[in-house]
Amino acid sequence: MSGIYELAIVGAGLSALSAISAGLGRERTIMLDYQAEPGGFLKHALPAPGFEIFEELIRSTRFPPSITTCFGATVVGLLPAFEAGEPHILVVRQKQGTQQVQAKRVLIACGGLEIPREHAQIPGSRPAGVMTPIMVHLLLAQGYLPGKQAIVYGDTHYTSVTARRLAGAGVAVSLVAPVDAQLVAIEGSPRLQRVIVRRAGEIYSMEADLLVYGAGMMANTHWLKGSGISTAEDGTVQVDAGYATNIPGIYAVGTVIAPSLDHVDSLAMGKEVASLLGGTL
Amino acid sequence: MTRFLLEATLAVALFSTIAIVHRFWKMLPNYVDKVTAYLYTFIINHHTSTTFQGWSAMVKDMQRVDVLIIGGGVVGSAILRELARYDARVALLERNPDVCEGTSKSNSAIVHTGFDAPPGTLEARLLADARALWPQVIEQLHIPYLQTGALLIATSEEELATLKNEIVPKAERNGVTLQPLTCDEILENSPYINPAIVGGALVEGEGIVDPFWTTRAYCENAVLNGAQVFTGEAVVGMSVADEHISVHTSNGRNFAASLVINAAGLWSDEVAQLVGDHSFTLTPRKGQFIIVEEDHGVSQIILPIPNRISKGILVTPIIFGGVMLGPTAEEVQDKGDFATTFEGLRQIRQGIAKLVPAMMDAVSVRQFAGLRAVSSTGEYIIRPSTASERLLHVAGIRSTGLSASPAIGRYVGDLARAQLGLALREHFVEELPEYLSETHANEGDVICLCRSITRGEIMAALRSPLPPETLDGLKRRTGTMLGDCQGNICMPRLMQLFQQQRGCDPLALNKNYDGSSPVVARVAGKEARR
Repeated sequence: MSGIYELAIVGAGLSALSAISAGLGRERTIMLDYQAEPGGFLKHALPAPGFEIFEELIRSTRFPPSITTCFGATVVGLLPAFEAGEPHILVVRQKQGTQQVQAKRVLIACGGLEIPREHAQIPGSRPAGVMTPIMVHLLLAQGYLPGKQAIVYGDTHYTSVTARRLAGAGVAVSLVAPVDAQLVAIEGSPRLQRVIVRRAGEIYSMEADLLVYGAGMMANTHWLKGSGISTAEDGTVQVDAGYATNIPGIYAVGTVIAPSLDHVDSLAMGKEVASLLGGTL
Repeated sequence: MTRFLLEATLAVALFSTIAIVHRFWKMLPNYVDKVTAYLYTFIINHHTSTTFQGWSAMVKDMQRVDVLIIGGGVVGSAILRELARYDARVALLERNPDVCEGTSKSNSAIVHTGFDAPPGTLEARLLADARALWPQVIEQLHIPYLQTGALLIATSEEELATLKNEIVPKAERNGVTLQPLTCDEILENSPYINPAIVGGALVEGEGIVDPFWTTRAYCENAVLNGAQVFTGEAVVGMSVADEHISVHTSNGRNFAASLVINAAGLWSDEVAQLVGDHSFTLTPRKGQFIIVEEDHGVSQIILPIPNRISKGILVTPIIFGGVMLGPTAEEVQDKGDFATTFEGLRQIRQGIAKLVPAMMDAVSVRQFAGLRAVSSTGEYIIRPSTASERLLHVAGIRSTGLSASPAIGRYVGDLARAQLGLALREHFVEELPEYLSETHANEGDVICLCRSITRGEIMAALRSPLPPETLDGLKRRTGTMLGDCQGNICMPRLMQLFQQQRGCDPLALNKNYDGSSPVVARVAGKEARR
């Protein structure tokens, strides 16, 4: 991690892997990610129908010798260069402790976080058994069922994959689509007992011990606070048509600039970044 | 020496036998129960050597203590710390799986000066005493504290008159000087305040703290000085005898205490009723809060002019970042009603818009509700029970428990000393060891992504003198799961660390109360082989 890298890529999810497979990172590059393996949070939903191109990308990605990969290495801060020609500094926490990484260019590809129920200020109690899809996948992977009777709230490909996965593990699942139903209240303590739903002006009470709240993503940019990188009110990093942020030499791509992207868009965006920036990086 | 060794060996042998018998407690016929109970009593009565003092905690039948505190909120814990100064057997019972689970955890987290307390009351006196004690408590227990000051804001000429004619003189009587400010003076320093206000005042001495940290630190300091804390032990029965009060818990523990202190918060009236004392009742008042991460520049506590029911809806900076909006003040019936409501959250937003307009639509990361106790007497109830001198009530502490806690602890400690003739311990360590407060942020990889909290920080909490028993306990000790994703990413890893460090089966590890595990069963069948 010593010396100055030509490029630091923050995140090893879809858009970053796609950019690398399209040729980004031929000069001395470091890639840093919170998780233990490449593939982002979506990886935990695999294998799943509809995500075959992503699976193929993970399988086929080869990191050239020019790229140092650091997994379980979380970037917790960014100190942009004071003057042109100086490197940017990333503060990285990993097993060995806190370290600094210097890089001439930075590509922010740290993705997003799932919007939790709290974000939408849904009234009611705060029982066990209310979670977003990522937690469902992580708990299943650890060998545990998060509930026996689930309501999956969401209408994306990802939420239907999550619902199918739960059903496959023996959980009774009801799907509720945000387009035609709103969550009015969450009830039960200490565990979820029912969810109150408004649909076409009528109020329904649905019994469940698990609510999977899949209302979408928000940008993962809390670590950029104080860095001077310009973000929009919803937390997304603001970039121009060439994926450049307001700070020279710092770029951003993927969910972190557009939380509503689906996986196909992210893959395409990664390729575009590689071709746009390949020459300058 | 030889005699000691012999006695110790015999004691160990005897104890092990009983422990084995105890394991099969429920399978044994009643008469064996009685024999076992007799043996336990024998041990306690005949062996007062230090060998047994630690073990007596494991003994379920009739633990003899000098003082037993019911309630591990900030008040009970502050009292525990003061009592740990004395050469006495002191224990605390908390019905929840962790300390600081009731009123103490869900509030504005302000250390008040007490400027608006009713002058001449015990509450006003203890709040004044607490002002002098806090600096020492903060230093000794390494409590994160920030003296932000509070801006009292008048939004109408009428409110300004109330401020000048009622609040300022009252504050003077409480020994707190308020500094009047014009609208321009306020806006110059705090441009985020609504320009439509008419004036206000600065209360310089108001500050913010972490209530959980404070409560935990009181307890840890007491535990390291020999006091005992039992969590998950609800008091279900009490009986008054001549020389002691017997206290029985939901898990079958029994205590005989020379003095019982009733610091059960919202449940103090129900504890009193266990011995037929109906001298006061408590009703819950619900307060809903909204947490906002982006502070919009707010660096001081922003208070409206209080009305008769409450201090109103305020903006409070949070010691670890972000701001808190609230609380509402709603009379409710159910002491377990922690639900937030659409109407309550709307009321907060409307109230806050008059003070800090930017907070009207600010994105919230979290909302919660707390319950505070409103006593039938309207004031602190710190006096012996009508049923026995050996039961001391410390109840009706309204919303000032955190602020007054150092002084309540001292005051009640003095009462207990006088009543039982307690002497100070030879060695009382005032300070919490440094290592308990050291940051472990640079140790290990990040577990909580949203708050950059590391494995080192999690493990330090799991190894502390009063370790968490629940995921929420870990959350309050480390700040993990409080960020944007609300624990959805890190909770499964935290469950693994709990299992590694404390041997907790994930199925038995609760979020907070019994039955709140995030998982309900092991995966079986095809899914298990994925």
